[in-house]
Amino acid sequence: MDYVEQRVAQAASSHEATANTLLTPLNGLLLAALLYVAYAFLFRKPPPPEVPAEPPATVFRTFTPRTLLPYNGENGMPVYLAVRGKVFDVTRGRNFYGPGGPYSNFAGRDASRGLACGSFDEEMLTKDLDGPLDTLEDLGPSEMEALGGWEERFEEKYLVVGRLVAAGEEKEE
Amino acid sequence: MGLASLLVALDEGVTGLFAQWNLWTSILTTALVGLLTYQLVARRDPDIHPFLLARQAQGSPVRYPGESPVYRCVAAPHGMPLNAGLNVKEPGASKWARGRDGDLRDIWRQAVAGVSDEGPDKGATGRLLTVLGTDKVVDHSLDALTRHINLVGRHLADHGARRVAIYLPNSIELLVALFACAFYDLEAVLVPFGKPDDALISMLRRSSSDTVVTASGAFPLDFVAKHYPGLRRLVWVLDDGSRHLDWNAVPEGAATSPVAVSTWQDVVNGSPAAAGRELPPLRDQKPPSDVVVFWDGGKPDEEEELVRFTAANLISGVAAQLAAIPTSQRLGPRDLFLPADSLASTHALVLTLAALFSNASVALSAAAPRADDLAAAVRAAPDLRPTVLVATPAALLKTQQDAAAARRRSSPFARLAHARRVRHLPAAPHLRRRARRRPGGRPRLSTAALADLRVLTGARIVYALAAARVAGAVAQTGLYDYRLVGEDADRLEDDAGSGSHFGPPLTSTEVLFRDKDGVRSDETGSRGEIIVRGPCVAGGEAALGVLGRMRKDNTIACYV
Repeated sequence: MDYVEQRVAQAASSHEATANTLLTPLNGLLLAALLYVAYAFLFRKPPPPEVPAEPPATVFRTFTPRTLLPYNGENGMPVYLAVRGKVFDVTRGRNFYGPGGPYSNFAGRDASRGLACGSFDEEMLTKDLDGPLDTLEDLGPSEMEALGGWEERFEEKYLVVGRLVAAGEEKEE
Repeated sequence: MGLASLLVALDEGVTGLFAQWNLWTSILTTALVGLLTYQLVARRDPDIHPFLLARQAQGSPVRYPGESPVYRCVAAPHGMPLNAGLNVKEPGASKWARGRDGDLRDIWRQAVAGVSDEGPDKGATGRLLTVLGTDKVVDHSLDALTRHINLVGRHLADHGARRVAIYLPNSIELLVALFACAFYDLEAVLVPFGKPDDALISMLRRSSSDTVVTASGAFPLDFVAKHYPGLRRLVWVLDDGSRHLDWNAVPEGAATSPVAVSTWQDVVNGSPAAAGRELPPLRDQKPPSDVVVFWDGGKPDEEEELVRFTAANLISGVAAQLAAIPTSQRLGPRDLFLPADSLASTHALVLTLAALFSNASVALSAAAPRADDLAAAVRAAPDLRPTVLVATPAALLKTQQDAAAARRRSSPFARLAHARRVRHLPAAPHLRRRARRRPGGRPRLSTAALADLRVLTGARIVYALAAARVAGAVAQTGLYDYRLVGEDADRLEDDAGSGSHFGPPLTSTEVLFRDKDGVRSDETGSRGEIIVRGPCVAGGEAALGVLGRMRKDNTIACYV
């Protein structure tokens, strides 16, 4: 009971002391809170959203069979293959065209004949990298149709990042 | 026991703190709670999600050497064709049927037919008004105008006209002549009004016009007949004051003058009332004819550039302007469109056609394009309340500078209130202003100036970059883009707001930057000479001749 009486007397005395003072600690805390809320809502503008930058665009290049060869997925290079003069970036299909994939023969090479004939053999690739490109003259209409179908699928799925010309013809349009 | 004494001390501390509660505490607590509640209740969502403004265009994944990636706006992604047509459908066709691209004739047919969407506005048409002076507004009926189109077109076609130069101020006769040429397969040549005589001769000669439709008193017939022998026919558009004069006089000095002179009023009033009510039918109509426009470079000694637009170019421009407006803000019969810029300029013309196609009311005032600032342009008709206004940057800049000067003279409280409103846009919901800027040579509006204008007019302002060979605009700021941007390419938000940008390309244009004069694109950003491509560009591709860059939010900014 003593304790309670003591506390009541204490409270009564402190209450008289702080009857209308502005700068008590409690008021100080509330004032600080009020000023911060006022600043945050009335005067501060929210920072604008930052979206990550777009990846830089790939530059369209003119490839020869020799310069296309390194792009077969090894050493962290992207995977490119060429179909009828158009070079496609097939890095997204790395499982198929990258190293160890079933069609990895096509990576970094001209795949037109292989796609037309539906074969992944080594004979389908141009042997001489410095010679003229494969003209596909000896293929029949059904093979050309198959090649056209493949080319359409590639156009829909993958990005054209360059064109393939024979060695020595890079400067032509 | 430490814990007990700790708790007791804590209890004493807390009760001691709250024992200090007095009147001031109550006031402060009320203020805090009030502020928090106000923020909760008065919170308004921004008009557009900030992420959508953080990237407004998309670059192509491949770029050619010497060029930047090709940028398109988000509504026209790569791989999809650009907006080339108005999707015009026959009246009874289903809403999901695929329409055709259309041409100028379909714009007038749609204006006459009224709103076709189901809803409370179905069948509503806009009004076509001419503002004369400051107190007279003439309302034209669409049927009467259709009749005028038919009569004027048939008159010109019957008398062998092929290229019709329209040398008129902003007036209903300009629109009627333009549509008459469209319906009767004549080539229209829009000549900017108020040019000196030799510039006029040069424009007529370059466009090989054989007919001129012009306003009485504004055309030096004798001078032109002497220096331009290719002129075959002239149609005077009379104003009320000169009707009593004899306008059928041929130029002097030629007993067998080749110029046949007639008046507009004779053509439209000389036929019986029942003639010319029906437009030429839709079936079997010939391919649309071209429209030739002269682009005023703004420099006094520079010749106006002749640009030939096919109907497809203009329609694509119109479609892009319509697509640039969000669905909730679309133009409709309740809107009043006032071009305070000459209709001979492509941007204002394309916007007027877009307003007509949306069945909005259109008010034409010959004095508005010459007005110094916005107040003078709108003062032309105090009873009209235009909801959409097309203005030049010079007029807007003058309005803003006048208002800023007035504010500097006013009290600090007014200045503070203005600054706060600038920070916390948006303003009123349904007014729109569009300013246009030519590349090079015209005043540039910074985003700070645009924000001031938004608060001043209570309208949303769209700032467009227009060019000679592009119908409509090359790029345009979004309707909801109120940001203040700085000059620095790396900082998007800057209180100075001294930078300016033109927004992303439209749905009918794609923009790229070609290396020029040592300014090159690389991984840090795209910059160079601005090149525009698209179905609304005359010739397919056009170089603007100015250097620009792509900002971090993929909006276009010009180097000065």
